[in-house]
Amino acid sequence: MTKDFAVPPVVFPSGGSSAGANVQQRRFPAAPFQPPRPSTSAIPFMSFDIGSAAASSATPAGPFGGTMSSSSSFGGGSASFEDEEPLLDELGIHPDQIWKKTRSILNPFRINQSVHKDSDLSGPIFLYLALCLFQLLAGKIQFGVILGWIVVSSIFLYAVFNMLAGRNGNLNLHTCTSLVGYCLLPVVVLSAVSLFVPQGAGPVRFVLAAVFVLWSTRACSTLVVSLADGGEEHRGLISYACFLIYTLFSLLVIF
Amino acid sequence: MYNNMGPQPGMPMPQANPQPNPFGNAFSGPGSGLIRSGLGAYGEKIFGSSSEYVQSNITRYFSDPQYYFQVNDQYVRNKLKIVLFPFLHRGHWTRISEPVGGRLSYKPPIYDINAPDLYIPLMAFGTYVVLAGLSLGLYGKFTPEALNWLFVKGMVGWFLQVMLLKITLLSLGSGEAPLLDIVAYAGYTFTGLCLAVLGKIIWGYSYYVLIPWTCLCTGVFLVKTMKRVLFAEARSYDSSRHHYLLIFVALAQFPLLIWLGNISVNWLF
Repeated sequence: MTKDFAVPPVVFPSGGSSAGANVQQRRFPAAPFQPPRPSTSAIPFMSFDIGSAAASSATPAGPFGGTMSSSSSFGGGSASFEDEEPLLDELGIHPDQIWKKTRSILNPFRINQSVHKDSDLSGPIFLYLALCLFQLLAGKIQFGVILGWIVVSSIFLYAVFNMLAGRNGNLNLHTCTSLVGYCLLPVVVLSAVSLFVPQGAGPVRFVLAAVFVLWSTRACSTLVVSLADGGEEHRGLISYACFLIYTLFSLLVIF
Repeated sequence: MYNNMGPQPGMPMPQANPQPNPFGNAFSGPGSGLIRSGLGAYGEKIFGSSSEYVQSNITRYFSDPQYYFQVNDQYVRNKLKIVLFPFLHRGHWTRISEPVGGRLSYKPPIYDINAPDLYIPLMAFGTYVVLAGLSLGLYGKFTPEALNWLFVKGMVGWFLQVMLLKITLLSLGSGEAPLLDIVAYAGYTFTGLCLAVLGKIIWGYSYYVLIPWTCLCTGVFLVKTMKRVLFAEARSYDSSRHHYLLIFVALAQFPLLIWLGNISVNWLF
């Protein structure tokens, strides 16, 4: 049994449409810009039509795969929602990797260097937020300050390492920032612990800070020297640079 | 040496950087991406011409920075001893030069204790900022903004020192020493300054002993270095003007270091 609708039926235009002017026609959602596509083009041009996205065989994996499949769902049905990647993978955040890397720094005596080979920035962001949270609990609102200092100190370490290592230095900024961020973990622990130590510049705070700063320095210099070439004979010089960076952060925590 | 002569007529070679570099040219290699992109872009904007012209002009003003980072532990230790106790340096103060490709250039810091380097000044500056923050915190006046002002103050002090040395060179010699050499010599004052601030943190009264000591040591070090640099530079040796200017350099250390060592929240004084 069919209901009678007041709206006339939709007729899709096919080749040689015979419908008159009174039939409503609905067009395909047209792409906003149609570049001219010559039949013989010297430069291979990949058209970004929404309709042809599903037909392109080279769908890139990773975060763009999600958008591609979701845009091709215009043409398909609603069944492609399950084909989308999980949100964390799409954003590039891998919690198990972050946890493994964090746990490798937790042991101050033996640092597992192999898990840090592929660098990521989501762990450092997480640690940065944790540090800001503990500082907030201590009454200091320092979100911008800490972020700025992380950026400046990673650029500093990158410049110093590559200059010292000379021609065969291959530390890149992403790895450097990732390492500086992960080795901020002892400073985060310091700021958590110093919430319970009484206020005031007593010797306890300084000794505590010194222990954690040395832990941080050792972790950072070991990782930097083992992950990038050319740093072995300059270990002491690089660890002094790391020491300066983490002392700076500990100043924020102590005072 | 410092390339006083321009390129000979008929020799199409630009005035490239003459420093010998077992570590390779700064404009190639992975660590140099920063320099190449940064200086290259800056140069393109100003000169707007081909990259060789840009490179040769940039290297004329900014000699290869990689040269100044060829250091090792032993060099750093010995150089610190020279900068902090220049009276005890028994050797000579001249830099060892070696002919490289028909041009005279200086040996890198690993092989020559008298060569300037940029690692120690950079680390000394960083240590100064950190120690100054520590001393501010001990008086209960630490804020991150105060640390930023201390950084600015240190930079201004470094700049003033560079100006002092550069003006001395310009008025006596031809002033063609590479800029980074002057920046390195000026940065060595931060090592003594760090010692003074450390003394202030440990025991307040030691500051009044350490600051005159630091001023004296820095003055002696700079005078001896400038004498050597001027010797290599000067076309005419005007003895009395030389000596007066060198004494002025040594005396000017006193107000400069006292200003830099006085750590307080407002950065002007």
